[in-house]
Amino acid sequence: MINFTINGQNVTALKGESILQAARKAGFYIPTMCYLEKTTPCASCRLCVVETDKTDGFILSCQTPPTEGLSVTIDSDRLKAERTNIMRLYDVNHPLECGVCDKSGACDLQNKTLEFGISAQHFSAKDQHRKIEHWGLINYDPSLCILCEKCVHVCNEIIGDDAIELQFGGYKSSVIPKNSDTLDCTFCGECIAVCPVGALVSSQFQYSANAWELSKIPATCVHCSAGCSLMYEVRHTSNSLGAKDKIYRVTNDFEHTTLCGAGRFGFDFSSEGSKDGEEFAKAIDAIKNADAIRFSSLITNEEAMILQTLKEKLGFKLYNEEARAYQNFMNAFGSISGKIGFGGSLDAIKQSDGIIVLGGRVSSDNPAVRYAMTTAARHNGAKVVYMHPMEDELLQNVVTQFVKYEVGTEEGVIAMLAKTLLETADLSEESRAYFDGLDEGYLCAESNVGDEEYARIAKTFARAKRKTLVIGSDVLTHKRSANIARLCAMIETYSEFAVVVVPTSVNTVGVSLICDLDTDNGGERVVGYNASGTYTIGSLGGVNLGLAPLNSQEGTFVSLNYQVLPTNVAVSYEGYTLNDLASSLGVVAENTIDYTAKLPKEKGFNGSVFDELGNFYSALGEDQRGYLLENRDVRADGKLEEIDDLPEFNGTVVYRCNPVNQFNGYTAQAQQLEKEAVLSGSAQFAAAAKISDGDKIRLEFPQSTQERIFKLDPVLKGTIALVPAYDVGFGGLNEQYRFEKVKIMRVGSES
Amino acid sequence: MHHEEVFTDRNVSESSAYYYVDIENYPTTGWDKFKQVVKRTFSGELFVGLWVVLREMIKFDIHTVQYPLEKLPIGPRYRAVHKLLRLWESGYERCIGCGLCEKICISDCIRMDTRIDENSRKEVTEYSINLGRCIFCGYCAEVCPELAIVHGQRYENASEQRAHFVIKDDMLTPLDMLKAGEQAEYPGFGAIIPGSDASVKKTPLAY
Repeated sequence: MINFTINGQNVTALKGESILQAARKAGFYIPTMCYLEKTTPCASCRLCVVETDKTDGFILSCQTPPTEGLSVTIDSDRLKAERTNIMRLYDVNHPLECGVCDKSGACDLQNKTLEFGISAQHFSAKDQHRKIEHWGLINYDPSLCILCEKCVHVCNEIIGDDAIELQFGGYKSSVIPKNSDTLDCTFCGECIAVCPVGALVSSQFQYSANAWELSKIPATCVHCSAGCSLMYEVRHTSNSLGAKDKIYRVTNDFEHTTLCGAGRFGFDFSSEGSKDGEEFAKAIDAIKNADAIRFSSLITNEEAMILQTLKEKLGFKLYNEEARAYQNFMNAFGSISGKIGFGGSLDAIKQSDGIIVLGGRVSSDNPAVRYAMTTAARHNGAKVVYMHPMEDELLQNVVTQFVKYEVGTEEGVIAMLAKTLLETADLSEESRAYFDGLDEGYLCAESNVGDEEYARIAKTFARAKRKTLVIGSDVLTHKRSANIARLCAMIETYSEFAVVVVPTSVNTVGVSLICDLDTDNGGERVVGYNASGTYTIGSLGGVNLGLAPLNSQEGTFVSLNYQVLPTNVAVSYEGYTLNDLASSLGVVAENTIDYTAKLPKEKGFNGSVFDELGNFYSALGEDQRGYLLENRDVRADGKLEEIDDLPEFNGTVVYRCNPVNQFNGYTAQAQQLEKEAVLSGSAQFAAAAKISDGDKIRLEFPQSTQERIFKLDPVLKGTIALVPAYDVGFGGLNEQYRFEKVKIMRVGSES
Repeated sequence: MHHEEVFTDRNVSESSAYYYVDIENYPTTGWDKFKQVVKRTFSGELFVGLWVVLREMIKFDIHTVQYPLEKLPIGPRYRAVHKLLRLWESGYERCIGCGLCEKICISDCIRMDTRIDENSRKEVTEYSINLGRCIFCGYCAEVCPELAIVHGQRYENASEQRAHFVIKDDMLTPLDMLKAGEQAEYPGFGAIIPGSDASVKKTPLAY
């Protein structure tokens, strides 16, 4: 704690806080143009200057920590004059097109210009022609740009794309794509969000609506398990009476949160519905006579609760292989760690200085994890070890050690990793004997990960203080997932590592906590809720009875942080909801959210009523969304099993992995997101499978076949190709082990 | 006693032209009241009036305004149905789609839709004012930075359908009218004040 004064008032700052942060916490106002809470200070605007008694001249409060006893002045006349001059310079030749600017008044520059009373231009500079750049989803107008560098900082420090940079040239400076003619990035759109003026704008949203007409509806992103906070911005679509509302854009509280491209641009999955009584009756019949209900994890906790209650009443089975895999994994995990959940979180990853990622392609599976890793790497200099059969181009900037293991050998790799990390841990004799008894030679040889790589990991992490192990969703569906879970739990329990298991879908965690899931044995009469079945209901294309999609529903999700997150109705839905079906089947509630308070307390839910849950970040960045689940104790009676023979995957192997910004049937509908559903592989893969770029091919999986175009991806390496899953059927990704041996045949008339 | 009120001088003073109207006392007794009734009933005043009408009718010199064929001129600051103006030179709509009128409208009756056109410019695709709700306060004309929306002189609001109250094409100057030079530059509410040219300053640029 550091005590100092601002304008004569006593203020305390924590170690590592800047004067600006301490001042804001204490309620003082220091104007800034370029400051972003989540990045390192850009220090480009110089508006945050303050005076102190220990320095000559002005200092930048955003990047200077206070010292004990310092006396800071934040609003002297000299400072005001300095700031006013800065604002005058910002306004030099700034186009007077506020009327048509897409920022429509929600503009920092406009606010500050009015605040400082700049009414005329006192400086002059020769105006120059600057071309508006069109970068796909993003438009950039350099003449509006004030060069605050916020966009460059988020892109580099938080996202990790490192796709834009500042081209220095005095008055001619502008933001340009880095090492490329056009913008080549994952299109998260975070640069649009942080832009204080209308320089970087969404090309699809531009000029379609003004900021003040849009009602902001706080919600939770439904695309991956991170459950990011977002705002649906909704407006009427036309002037005619009874016109429906539409989501015009998605924004986020960019000071404290980050969104990926799917969250920001993949919002238009709402569907039209109507109350068709006949079909409704059929659906009721189908559920009454169903052997089972198969559902995806694109579902709220409340709906999951409805399904569970229906199951108890009607006695059908509940199928959700993806959530069941997670459930089994976490049960096995808990049998060692003694807790329901794991110890890590996205925040823990952000604060880590050492991260191991194993068994998942996080950059496309869960961008929030990737962003947290980038933040850790950039802000804490975190060492990142990435262990996977395939290298990931997008993680290149942050990964310090890539460990490639053979497909299917995760159990062996984790066992060896656990052995490495628990070298000095205080283990029971039994466990120590287990690790000593591992057949190192066999495991290393089969997994193709050498001793020296584990030795390097051990060396890297010996000095790290806050360590996180990120377990990807590959291992959840691995045949030996239970034992893998126990080994992971060993690492969490007996070392300083916090573990984060990355579930696949938005509410995989919630479903796994709420529902008793059965093994999917099929059945004659299966009702599919956003999943395949003999009778289907849901909000994805081609179902028999349409129900409300997730942006037309209120309810809660459980994120990978084990946080219960509320979401709200962005656009109204005229048709039925699952609650209507359940009410007709005798499980009666007025609203779906009546179930929020009834969520199982023994799993850690606290019984809060939906309307009491917050969904925002405070001005100082405190998370006020929903609540954290209580990490309850469970019986820790698990035993490590012997490592099974490691399987071999030879021949043409594909990896079920969606392209960046694609997750499920919802993102597949999004008009702005790229939908390249091709098999993409390296030249090596093409040679092995005897196919070439642009070929139409048939993929024969053990259970099904698909026809796709093959695309040669120069970035990929190795002999595994990526096959998307979001566009097939209902878009489930993680129902079986993600790697699969397939037969590939060319279709078409070329031969 | 004939008198014309002088509107320029509304001050009440000794010399001003206020005067008392000559009114007889009301009758108090029953007999007096009866006499008044008889006098009023049998006087020929009715025929005086009828004679005036007949006389004027056969003179064929009528002073009545032939509404709706003929209308009285109204003051320039009168706020009647809106007009959307075009630029004189190019014929483009003056409206830049800034939406300020929509925002300021206190009866919330203006709605517009915009889009980005082929030239990357903001284009107004839909513009409507629900005249059934409009209170003709004139804020929209006053806030418009482009003198694009003004209050015209058309004050008839009767129509068979409510939908007729909201049509953009009715408000916008037709192109042929513009070419014929018939678009009236608006001197009224929300317009720049006379002589504002004098107060325009040059941007202080060095070149």
